[in-house]
Amino acid sequence: MEALYLFILVILLLLVGVPIAVSLGLSSILFLLVYSDSSLASVAQTLFSAFEGHYTLLAIPFFILASSFMSTGGVAKRIIRFSIACVGHFHGGLAIAGVFACMMFAALSGSSPATVVAIGSIVIAAMRKVGYSKDFAAGVICNAGTLGILIPPSIVMVVYAAATDVSVGRMFLAGVIPGLLAGTMLMVAIYFYARYKGMPKGEWAGWSEVLGAARGASWGLFLVVIILGGIYGGYFTPTEAAAVASVYAFIVSMYIYRDMGPLKGTLGGAPLSLAKHPQALFTAWFHKDTRQTLFDAGRLSVTLLFIIANALILKHVLTDEQIPQTIATAMLAAGLGPIMFLVMVNVVLLIGGQFMEPSGLIVIVAPLVFPIAIELGIDPIHLGIIMVVNMEIGMITPPVGLNLFVTSGVAGMSMMRVVKAATPWLGILFIFLILVTYIPALSTALPTYFMGPEVIIR
Amino acid sequence: MSTPALTKFSIAERLERNFIAALLGLMTMITFANVVIRKLQEMDFWRSDWFAPWAEPLSTFGLQSLETTVFLFAWMGIIGTAYMVRIKAQLGVDVALNYMPPVWRKASALLAVSACLLYTLLLLKGSWDYWAPFANLPPTEGRIWPEGFKARYLSQGYYEVNDIVMPAWAQFLSDWFNEGEKYEKIPRFIPYFALPFGMALLLWRYLRVAVDVMQGKANMIIASHEAEDLVDQAAATADKD
Repeated sequence: MEALYLFILVILLLLVGVPIAVSLGLSSILFLLVYSDSSLASVAQTLFSAFEGHYTLLAIPFFILASSFMSTGGVAKRIIRFSIACVGHFHGGLAIAGVFACMMFAALSGSSPATVVAIGSIVIAAMRKVGYSKDFAAGVICNAGTLGILIPPSIVMVVYAAATDVSVGRMFLAGVIPGLLAGTMLMVAIYFYARYKGMPKGEWAGWSEVLGAARGASWGLFLVVIILGGIYGGYFTPTEAAAVASVYAFIVSMYIYRDMGPLKGTLGGAPLSLAKHPQALFTAWFHKDTRQTLFDAGRLSVTLLFIIANALILKHVLTDEQIPQTIATAMLAAGLGPIMFLVMVNVVLLIGGQFMEPSGLIVIVAPLVFPIAIELGIDPIHLGIIMVVNMEIGMITPPVGLNLFVTSGVAGMSMMRVVKAATPWLGILFIFLILVTYIPALSTALPTYFMGPEVIIR
Repeated sequence: MSTPALTKFSIAERLERNFIAALLGLMTMITFANVVIRKLQEMDFWRSDWFAPWAEPLSTFGLQSLETTVFLFAWMGIIGTAYMVRIKAQLGVDVALNYMPPVWRKASALLAVSACLLYTLLLLKGSWDYWAPFANLPPTEGRIWPEGFKARYLSQGYYEVNDIVMPAWAQFLSDWFNEGEKYEKIPRFIPYFALPFGMALLLWRYLRVAVDVMQGKANMIIASHEAEDLVDQAAATADKD
């Protein structure tokens, strides 16, 4: 019962516009002051140890930093060129290429809105030029952009892992097959729709274009190889992988792509050569673009981490009061099975995902749902992937959804038009959600194969 | 992901931005360096004589790197938050607000900023109470509101962190806080200082926001998602129809 007050307070505070972090923190503090004898000093300690004691969370600023260096328009252009070279010659080729580009960009960035902005702002305009309708273009990109949080690396997955103490490495591996599956389902659907509608197809530009474009994009895409290869090859932990990826992304963007930093050509001119400007080896570290990128990544990290730190105070309260266990017992007593439970989780997340930023929602829901799921015998990794896919769908479900907002901005369309444009493709993601929910092997096969079966500690 | 580069920032604002950028940069470099050192240690030349003068300082660095990164991380997260309030980057839910008439919105904003102030005040007291004994200072009396300082408390100025070695130039602190006994590792009140300092900054920030709300200069204190300014930029170049 007391737990109910706690959650009602969180929701009320959120609705009047209190920041997520403060809503979570304040509700937990008030709850502790009223129902327990904890001191404020111990709350402050919990807040500090959220940073001190969770080495996993350190991966978040590093992944954000790596993708900030890679989120320049230049990288997106190279990926799109490669993707058009590969699949542009099919019916509906540019749309399929857009999805393919979103999948690749998702492997550099852990965020969905960022994926929509980077790919959408180029591809939507390009599709309009060759005769696609704007609605079709926006709908496709809006949906494909959600893959940003499913295909590793993914910030939402790191947050889930930290909130529930499962391994980040497993979560990343678990996202690979579902991510490829969702992308393929979208591409196949577009292909048949395009055949049916007789949509334009591009020219096959030949293998030389594929190879040339691949060479351009490969420097960026190698980032994924470093991250996944490094983690599963046992070279480093996910956190270290993220730091190495940041340094790699810095070097590629400063010295190879030269889209930013001291070697960037002036006003669209060719980039400068390092041999002629060797001082760049030093100046790049303090260049204003570097500082700006560091600040931008820091800004996003601080916002997310402050939310997470406060959510960990909430988690502390929940664990102390044995709230999830109480709910689990009640649910089991009511004869609720794992399937009904997962349906309920899906519904809660679909609704919540419309209103809230995914990482924030995950930290609130995960500590509550996780112990119940374990009681019911659901695999923690599987649960994590279900939660991520739900977040994806929440982002594009009307009336509100982050990706809908972002697409409406990027394409210059009204919200209502974007909602209409995105809805037909939403069906595919729903089918995908059902597949992921009822076929655990899609998520668990790869991590089990590479890292052995999951050990569940109760 | 960028604010317009040409915006002029005040000195305080530049300081805060550079603080966040510098901490993130340092954290990344230290973690990266630690990976490199660990890989080098697995190689043969690490144990050879000519490398000995390098091996030792590098190992010492490696041993301290994890804890250093974690503390920088905490500093960035706790002290950096005040700046997020300033630039309205804190994430929240704006759905209900968007449907409210202006009067309600103002009332909500006032309510929201009061909640933030209450949160910060409670945590400021908690932070002080937690940090003060580590700096041989008295924590406050009272469970919710401070009711004067405690007369009797345990001074814990001798508490040290686990790995970070105390630099010689900073040993004057041992005279001040540890009765002259030299610190081997840095004392705990240094990293934990982020708490009271960060909360004090946050309090100041929310007070400024409260004034803005009361004067009608702001009617929302949150951003609805992380990519708001990205979208604004993209929207500026999109073709409308």
